[in-house]
Amino acid sequence: MTFASTLAKARAEGRALLTEVEAKQALAEAGIPVVETLLATSREEAMAVAERLGFPVVLKIVSPDIAHKSDVGGVKLNLPDQEAVGRAWDEIMASVRAAEPNARIEGVSVQRMAKPGIEVIVGMTTDEQFGPVMMFGLGGIMVEVLKDVSFRLVPLEEKDAAEMIDEIRARPILDGVRGQPGADIGALRKLLLDVSRFVESHPEVRELDLNPVFAYPNGAVAVDARLVVATE
Amino acid sequence: MGVPGHRLDRMFNPRTVVVIGDKGPGYMWIHNNLPFKERGGKLYSVQIDPAQIPGIEALGVQNFTSLKDIPEPIDYAVVAVPRQVAPRVLRDLIEVGAAGAAFFTSGFAETGEETGIRLQQELQQLAREANFNLVGPNCMGLYIPKLGVRFSVDAPVADDGRIGFLSQSGTHSIMFSLVCGVLGLHLSRAASFGNAIVLDVADYVEYLAEDDETDVIAMYVEGARDGRRFFETLKAAAKRKPVVVWKGGQTDAGARATMSHTASLATPQAIWDGIMRQVGAITTNSLDETVDVVQALVRVKRPRGKRMALLAQTGGQSVSITDAFAKVGFEVPRFAPETYAKLGEFFNIIGGSYQNPLDMAGTVQGNPEVLARILRIVDEDPNVDGMAMEMSAMFGVRHWKRNPEAFERMLDVLAQHQQRSAKPFLIVMHPVHEEQWLAENRRKFIERGFALYPNFERAAAALARVAGLL
Repeated sequence: MTFASTLAKARAEGRALLTEVEAKQALAEAGIPVVETLLATSREEAMAVAERLGFPVVLKIVSPDIAHKSDVGGVKLNLPDQEAVGRAWDEIMASVRAAEPNARIEGVSVQRMAKPGIEVIVGMTTDEQFGPVMMFGLGGIMVEVLKDVSFRLVPLEEKDAAEMIDEIRARPILDGVRGQPGADIGALRKLLLDVSRFVESHPEVRELDLNPVFAYPNGAVAVDARLVVATE
Repeated sequence: MGVPGHRLDRMFNPRTVVVIGDKGPGYMWIHNNLPFKERGGKLYSVQIDPAQIPGIEALGVQNFTSLKDIPEPIDYAVVAVPRQVAPRVLRDLIEVGAAGAAFFTSGFAETGEETGIRLQQELQQLAREANFNLVGPNCMGLYIPKLGVRFSVDAPVADDGRIGFLSQSGTHSIMFSLVCGVLGLHLSRAASFGNAIVLDVADYVEYLAEDDETDVIAMYVEGARDGRRFFETLKAAAKRKPVVVWKGGQTDAGARATMSHTASLATPQAIWDGIMRQVGAITTNSLDETVDVVQALVRVKRPRGKRMALLAQTGGQSVSITDAFAKVGFEVPRFAPETYAKLGEFFNIIGGSYQNPLDMAGTVQGNPEVLARILRIVDEDPNVDGMAMEMSAMFGVRHWKRNPEAFERMLDVLAQHQQRSAKPFLIVMHPVHEEQWLAENRRKFIERGFALYPNFERAAAALARVAGLL
């Protein structure tokens, strides 16, 4: 599905928030590295898709009515084999139906567990006064508690992407501390520039979270994506 | 000479200025602009109230009862009429082809009441349709010191202004020009633009960026109507000359419905800070910070690095000056061995030190030649990117009062150093109990082009902002 048709579908359904599968497809289409994530609409399909992607996998509920998937028991991590995937399907469906009986359920998303890296967040929002703005920060505690993030207006220049990364207080962590591997700064800069270009060419995008992005010594990949579009 | 062809050029280089609706007993606007007349400009008044006219004529300004009777094309008008008359005056200004006008008149949208809002909309619509350069309303208008066009009777008239200043606040623009004036820093052009219903900050920035009489642009803003245009204009301006932005007003996040993490973190302040870095502006938080950084931009050579040599008069001050500069991100490195060797030849280490920071009063002993020698040696040190020197009013003024020539000689030594050196040089003198002496002698610093700060912290912060450390 192209971004245009995804957008049309979401709008037809009155949705501002794209599903994770839709969001990642749109990003992948724009050349932004995301963990490949596929929709499975049945238990059997989930097991087959998992087999194809390779274990361990993650299953997440896909529903236009559910914004916070883990709150309703809609996420199962680290599933090692097909049997575990089947069980996870049953458990997710049971707990989501119990928590949100009226939610429309499209199925589950299946993705391979990404190899851990340094967690960063790359985001975008639309400011009333200034328009689209990009954000960068370290994921987890750094962003939740310390709000250690940087902002620049779209479109970013290379200098802006470099400065966004360099000006956060936790910057030394990206170089690797206490024997931890560092992050591929070049890949993060490119990611920021690619997202900026994506946003620039799709003014319908109002908000975007790539959270977390796993940054590795070589490369970086968006593990989860949240994409909000203007509904008209 | 200004920016030929720009829509604001005529207004910013007026030959004919008209004050509309000025009133006694003060006749503030005529008084403000009398220097314009003294400097050869044509200054007229428009006032229909017969009771006010004799007072205007007594000031030597010709009065007309209609704008249309004025014999010259009007380049700039100051409008000080009651608000309900403002739209009619604007219509007349448009009809006679005036190049621009500032509306001192207030009582518009800033009041929040219906009549004010309606009248403001009327002005806005009239001006926009006619593409008229309306400054304000609710503002103090333009200040062009070289021409004697002023927004305050106290604001200096000066030919050497190189600083452009823009402000939403009238008080801040007047205060900035007065505080700068005390320091001998003069403005090229300023605009207090109040409600900014037609011309917004970006329009003025665009002009000052191109104006060859403006070397530095400083501004006080609370917000911009068109955020994108503000961003683009500021970015283009900062590529050409230093831009200093003093942001006023606590930014209010308000209650925003957001679906993403990014949106919840994107407070107006956080976005603003990012934008300022993106455009390459220097940011300040107060009038004094703004004046301080402007003084450094005008009088101090640009730092090539952050390694400072600090020259204090006593031990306690050498610690404090180091704390102040280190706190804002400067380094205070060890001197190169040859510097130590040269200083060691004559430095009195009993009660002094020629480590960086220097504790030098005991060595200089009021002798300008010794000071000159120290300055030359430190300036040549390859580990030093910039220098800041304390002068002690507490110990020095007593001698300088007795022997003013010694004081002049010392200043000349410092001036020679500043001329020779390629590195930034700042002088810090706390006035202590000698405020009055400093006030009387400040011009000696100004004449020599010194950047003079009243304490270490302000000097350090000013240079840090120029160096991009703050």
